[in-house]
Amino acid sequence: MKDLCVNDVDMVYDLPNNASVHALSDVSFELPAGRLLTLLGPSGCGKTTLLNILAGFLAPTRGSVTLGGKAIRGPGQDRGMVFQQGALFEWLNVEKNIAFGPRMNRANRASTKQKVAELLEIVGLGGFGDKQVYELSGGMQQRVALARCLANDPDVILMDEPLGALDALTREKMQGLILELWQETGKTIILVTHSVEEALYLGDRIFVMAPRPGRIHSDYELPFAQQGLSVDARELKASAEFAERRDEILSIIWEMEEEIMGRQEAV
Amino acid sequence: MAVPSDPTSIEADTVSGPGRLARLFSRGDAQSARKTVTFGDSSAVRSLPIWSLISLVGLVVFWFVATYAWGLPAEFKDPELSDKLRIAVCNADAACKGSFTQLLGPLQFPSVRDTWNSFFALSDEGFKGSTLWGHTRISLWRVLRGMFWGSVLGIPIGFSMGLSSRARGFFDTPVEMFRPIPPLALLPLFILVFGIGDGTAVRLLIFASIWIMIIAARSGVQAANLSKIRAAYSLGASKWQVLVRVLLPNALPELFTGFRVAVGVSWGTLVAAELVGAPDGLGAMIFAARPIFRLDVVVVGIIVIAILGVAMDIALRFLESKLIPWRGRS
Repeated sequence: MKDLCVNDVDMVYDLPNNASVHALSDVSFELPAGRLLTLLGPSGCGKTTLLNILAGFLAPTRGSVTLGGKAIRGPGQDRGMVFQQGALFEWLNVEKNIAFGPRMNRANRASTKQKVAELLEIVGLGGFGDKQVYELSGGMQQRVALARCLANDPDVILMDEPLGALDALTREKMQGLILELWQETGKTIILVTHSVEEALYLGDRIFVMAPRPGRIHSDYELPFAQQGLSVDARELKASAEFAERRDEILSIIWEMEEEIMGRQEAV
Repeated sequence: MAVPSDPTSIEADTVSGPGRLARLFSRGDAQSARKTVTFGDSSAVRSLPIWSLISLVGLVVFWFVATYAWGLPAEFKDPELSDKLRIAVCNADAACKGSFTQLLGPLQFPSVRDTWNSFFALSDEGFKGSTLWGHTRISLWRVLRGMFWGSVLGIPIGFSMGLSSRARGFFDTPVEMFRPIPPLALLPLFILVFGIGDGTAVRLLIFASIWIMIIAARSGVQAANLSKIRAAYSLGASKWQVLVRVLLPNALPELFTGFRVAVGVSWGTLVAAELVGAPDGLGAMIFAARPIFRLDVVVVGIIVIAILGVAMDIALRFLESKLIPWRGRS
């Protein structure tokens, strides 16, 4: 298992009108293997930019990112990615979508088939292998995306608001599934979300990020993801400790929003 | 205020769904049957088959009436004679000529019966060196070759324009310059350079379809969702694999739209091109019938062209539903 190391990452986007946006400023952290990190913050705080840098889709203007001591220079199979929606291949059925990674690597067909069958069971889609992906509900499509990403056995799974497009009930179920997968596979997971509750429930570590320039505002170590494996989700979310943390983080974000509004009014 | 309602219709509708025959006459789809407001709701409007049938029958009836119905006195209605001959006989007779009330004479428009007979004569004996089906085969084969080469040349160019800034810069100007030129405007040039014949017709069709296919392929590449491409790279796909396994299948809906537009344009261009640019084909058959006043041949040609145009579009739509079942559903 590999540790993730981010050193002094800066990201500046140049705009056509000679202005520039400081999307990330001096972001540094270390994430040991097997942690579940959630990134939370108001829009424009650079959480998706950070995720894209970790995935290798963007090169930072300054600083470096290493996974297991090796520098990240582009997309790679050691880092799987789950997108919000629209990333499944409609011309392939569920099975073939999941088998896409192994097929690109020309893996053995028989072992791929077996792996796909196992993954279908793990994400709760047993018997749906020959369905077309456009016939599935949003929640089931995200299950396929998870299984497809797991088929390549990555060290890190990056999720960009994976549950953002789902209805509340499906979302709760999928949160449970992510926790289960995390426990069973022991993989490092980094998840971007807009929902404070989701970030608290899923993250055993949370970065609350602040905008302009995008940076890590505060870094929490939390017990809820570990508890979530044994305690009922509703009970956990209703507990006093959970509520206290939620109010704390919400007020941080509120302050950020008000600061942004104030700055805009001043301009 | 009372809400207007009709309790009997509610009971009647909930008992059973409409049958096949009833669907032919029903106003809209099953959901729309319960809507109270349909005027302006486009989802409640569909093409009713029964009305399509009525308009088709109406056209034929109008044709029949205009060329025949009131026309001739009884003694000239000898079924053995052709319409033309009968009218010629009638014209020679002063009494008949006075009571002749046909709207369109055979030199203005052939009658339904003349056209019908001519259709079988053309199928068996032919006209201008080939049977009707020979001319049709020649024309269709030209469209197929034009479409084939237009796609083989156009799709890679379109893809390169969607994938590389250099290629887009390089091809943008010629594509935008040549695209608005109507292919028929080039016909005189093509005839001078390539002569009258097959080569001219096919080259003109390549010119007609290539720009459409380039634009279709380019927009097909541009339609690809960025996260789909990124997901493929993350899963270990190489650039070539992304092109063949992701971009190409993902562009199928746009490519198919291109095919359908190109087939329509090619068919129209071809028939017009054949009028002067080729010695055979449906267009040449029509054009050869003009100087000898064989309007029945002209009309048969027009009808065959219309039917084939509709048939090709139906075939492509069927193929599309089989090949791209996810279209409009993702």
